[in-house]
Amino acid sequence: MRDSPRTRRRFLQATAAGSLAGLAGCQGLLGGSSDDERVTIPELATFRGSGAIVEGRPAPGGTSIEELPDLSGELSLYIGGGEGGIYYRFVKMLQEIYPDFTVYQSSAASASLAQNIVKEVQAGAAQADVFWSIDASSLGYVADNDAYEPLPKDVVEPVPEDFQGDDNAWVGVAGRARSVPYNTNQLSESDIPDAVQDFPSAASFPNTVGWAPTYGAFKSFITAMRLLRGPDATREWLVAMRENGAKRFPDEFVVSQRVADGVIPAGFANHYYAMRVKNQRPDAPLALAFTSDDAGALVNVAGALRIKGTEKDQLVNNFIKHLLSAEAQEFFATVSFAYPMIEGVTPVGGLPTIDELNPPDIDLSKLSNLEKTLEIMRNAGVLG
Amino acid sequence: MTVTERVARAVDLATNDEAGAVGTGLTFLAAAVAAVLVIPLGWLFVDVLGLGGRAIDLATSATTLAVLARSVALVAVVTAGSVLVGVPLAVLTVQADIPFKRFWTVLAALPLAVPSYLGAFAVVSATGRGGVLANALQPLGVETIPTVDGFTGAALVLTVYTYPYVFLTTRASLLSLDASLVEAARTLNSGRWEAFRRVTLPQILPGVAAGALLVALYTLSDFGTPNIMRVQVFTQFIYARYTGFMQDYAALLSLQLLAVTAVILAVESRIGADDSGAYASGGNRGALSIRLGWLRYPLLVLPLLVGATAILLPIVVFGLWLTNGGPGYAGGSMAFSWTYGWNSLYVALLAAVASVLVALPIALRSAASDSRLAALADRAPYAGYAAPGIVLAIALVSFSLNVVPAFYKTIPLLVFAYVVRFVPQAIGSMRTSTLQVDQTLVEAARTLGRSRFGAFRSVTLPLIAPGIVTGAALVFLTTMKELPATLILRPLGFDTLVTYIWRVQEAGLYGRAALPALVLVVVSGLSMAVILAQEDADDSDTNE
Repeated sequence: MRDSPRTRRRFLQATAAGSLAGLAGCQGLLGGSSDDERVTIPELATFRGSGAIVEGRPAPGGTSIEELPDLSGELSLYIGGGEGGIYYRFVKMLQEIYPDFTVYQSSAASASLAQNIVKEVQAGAAQADVFWSIDASSLGYVADNDAYEPLPKDVVEPVPEDFQGDDNAWVGVAGRARSVPYNTNQLSESDIPDAVQDFPSAASFPNTVGWAPTYGAFKSFITAMRLLRGPDATREWLVAMRENGAKRFPDEFVVSQRVADGVIPAGFANHYYAMRVKNQRPDAPLALAFTSDDAGALVNVAGALRIKGTEKDQLVNNFIKHLLSAEAQEFFATVSFAYPMIEGVTPVGGLPTIDELNPPDIDLSKLSNLEKTLEIMRNAGVLG
Repeated sequence: MTVTERVARAVDLATNDEAGAVGTGLTFLAAAVAAVLVIPLGWLFVDVLGLGGRAIDLATSATTLAVLARSVALVAVVTAGSVLVGVPLAVLTVQADIPFKRFWTVLAALPLAVPSYLGAFAVVSATGRGGVLANALQPLGVETIPTVDGFTGAALVLTVYTYPYVFLTTRASLLSLDASLVEAARTLNSGRWEAFRRVTLPQILPGVAAGALLVALYTLSDFGTPNIMRVQVFTQFIYARYTGFMQDYAALLSLQLLAVTAVILAVESRIGADDSGAYASGGNRGALSIRLGWLRYPLLVLPLLVGATAILLPIVVFGLWLTNGGPGYAGGSMAFSWTYGWNSLYVALLAAVASVLVALPIALRSAASDSRLAALADRAPYAGYAAPGIVLAIALVSFSLNVVPAFYKTIPLLVFAYVVRFVPQAIGSMRTSTLQVDQTLVEAARTLGRSRFGAFRSVTLPLIAPGIVTGAALVFLTTMKELPATLILRPLGFDTLVTYIWRVQEAGLYGRAALPALVLVVVSGLSMAVILAQEDADDSDTNE
């Protein structure tokens, strides 16, 4: 049989029971075996994406990787979503920086991994040490089912409290804001309503609004609306939008592109899709508006959580600190155009900073209850 | 176990068990093996119990019923389409006077070699705005071609990749058709069409039905195609619930999918009942020739068109991505590694060896005994074969976590899933060769003082070796292509060609899939070689 990470983990657990020294030896405790190999941190450019809106940024503030303890040993990581391989890429960079650091990773949909983690922990067969998820609802699910170990204060500290789990269960590492991409040739910012419920009656739209109801982020948005305004108002809004001729697209990247093309004047999409379009086509007549204090202004986060039963507390903490380093945050901001979670790093393309946004007061972990949302969408004739 | 009996009949029609010496121990071993293969499916019921009274509401909710209707419709459309494409092609390549018959036969069977999800992937990527096909047609003034996806897309792709089941079984029936009957009908002044309808059709109907059953089961259980085409049928719906905080709901839907599978098996048994005799070799085999005259050339458009869609399109799409650097290379993430290929090879080899070891006692026993237990042991494994891969995977996750957590997401569990799913292929081909072993030879060896095992090793084993090799090859190659169970059950950090293709597809890094997809098409092509070689061997046997 292949020497899978879980057998390795079992081996470590057995050794730990026998002697603490054995465990320390296996894990290569901090810096233990990397004395003679000087770790060199690559220059900032390595962590930075390329393209029109990324160039000419100031150096990021915050804690540099250089100031953090070296990573060494083996870490089992569940990656939920992974943003098209961007998370993998960062993990690979860390492994290149630290020759003694090996990551065994597995990716699947965040929600699927969250449920697996809970089942695994309950069965005493946990597979991974860290869960790096694309959304807060799956982190909340793991936390609510008591399958986490709280993170130390110094790990979560750099991140605003809104983006931490209760009891330090998890910490946000990159943010995603709902937004309204609009075509600047057809509309001006004042044409975009400040509240999402005013969209169906907005006289300023010459044509139709684009949306992608099958897309996960859209369903989270509708779930948020359901939690904030109740099922009836949500259904009425969906029906009104549909009757007003909302135009359906397969995903929100396409929505943002069609807005830039002028096919539709405005749409609903996560903010980073418009940034992606702008980065490739700097002259595209595309800008972002944000609604205020409602579901349309939802900010969701990718985050990290320490899985219950891990024997690698220190390594997990240090790994998460690396995800919140200046370099990592610059990487997420300029490669996936995510909202940075630490103060020293600014979002790309002149976006408002995260504290300038006005997201609704909502428990992000409640967004996992999709069943009722899908039911409402179906009743409204908007199939998700 | 009538359901599994029926699957057994459909998948392997050679079931004339002969009475022989009873090895009770072997029978019990075979029955035990069969039981172990079936038990995990029972765990779905345990999961559903967790839903309590909500189970009934969910099972009969409007959404579930809509999905049910859509799944049944897809099965009906694809099955009908496969018959409409497969039967004419079989008649054309067996009975008509077309040039290069062998070439057209191989071409018509070849789509079976390409996993349908790769076909779906290619079709989605080729059509629509900026697709490969759209770009190619641009110089001709074609602005956009519509994206082929959803229900229509899934029906099209599944028909193109599954009609060979009908083609191959119908072809087998036609080859064993007693042509003198048709000639007699013609002499009695029946028209050509009337002779076909009254004589040929009834004789080939069981063959067509057997092929149609395989198409229907494949369509119902296929995971990749509906997911890539984004059409909400059972497998897609189950996966969406499974990955969306509704795993109990997914288990419930899995049971419903199993029930639909059982209904299809029951329907088929009505059509195909007691007609397996039609497979027996008649007198004047396949001698009938339809003279088409000039018509034979336009008719060749059918195999050409199907071949172009099923074989050429994916190879061109993936080939172009490979040479031009397809979409998704720019990000530089999720690079391909040959490790994935080795991992595929590794688990497929393990699955092949394990399947042979499991199939051997079952095949030996069922060939030698007509006891009820032996028959049951022989047929029970077909439940795993008829169960869709995603259903089996969900059942095994639950089973392993609750019963044997040490095996959860390990290579042994993954291999176990492959064995449950694919062992009937090995049993089928091994039993066929076991039936051909002359028992008097074994008895002679025993009389000459060989032990039971010694006689087996020196007489039986060499005689059944070709069956073992074929069975192992079939399991190996189907394991290489398997998607849903691999996706759900693979150990942490363990990726295969198929799971890698799936990951880059989901991430939208399509270009990354080019190399592994081409590798998979080539490897799958080998499975076709095995099937065709087997057919040739059968032909030469009966011609002697």
